[in-house]
Amino acid sequence: MAGPIYAADGPGAIRAVPLDGLVALFHRPSGMTHIVAPPAPQILEALQEGPADARTLLARIAAVYEIGEGSAEAIEARLAELEEAGLVRRA
Amino acid sequence: MGDAMSEQSSKEGGVLANPTRRTVLALGAAAASTVVTIRPALAQTAGSVMNCQIPVPGPQHSGQYIAADGSLVAPGTPGSFAPPARPITGEEAKTLLRGGFTPNGMDSQSAQAYANYIRRLQSGMSGFTCYASLQLPR
Repeated sequence: MAGPIYAADGPGAIRAVPLDGLVALFHRPSGMTHIVAPPAPQILEALQEGPADARTLLARIAAVYEIGEGSAEAIEARLAELEEAGLVRRA
Repeated sequence: MGDAMSEQSSKEGGVLANPTRRTVLALGAAAASTVVTIRPALAQTAGSVMNCQIPVPGPQHSGQYIAADGSLVAPGTPGSFAPPARPITGEEAKTLLRGGFTPNGMDSQSAQAYANYIRRLQSGMSGFTCYASLQLPR
């Protein structure tokens, strides 16, 4: 059974500044600032290709990165956090 | 495969700095939180000023007209103005209260009456929080 489909705002909605291992994100629509750690920035980047569920996002990320430890469940947990922060929404 | 890889790697403008195939990404445990939201008052203000709305008049006085001094009067009262067709946004109210441009679709006299109505908003009235947020320094 497929999990929920998530979507993110377009690239113009977020100003991202890398801070060593972290990324500061300014979300223009809400005026909020977030500090995110991997894999959250990579999830947001993968969502730029279009709405997707956790499994699809994992595949997109795996096309760019060597996936270390972790699983689709970890992606789902990160998506829930990003949703609470207002950075992604259910499509 | 090789072409797809180089296409992925050459994407720019995102949050990733030239990812390469060799970069290892640890997804971590499901319980490990990775998002911290900073909630400074000014950041919230910027957002609310952009997005908030002030209904003129508030829903509890729906249908009433607005006199030039901003008070609410019975519909058709001479010298009063019909309510705007839509709520005034925070951005519009800010410009209006500074004597700037009249919001689209409103004439300047009625817009001044609406501005006076907004100035008279008090705590507990619809739109007051939006109005109050306009007063904070950016």
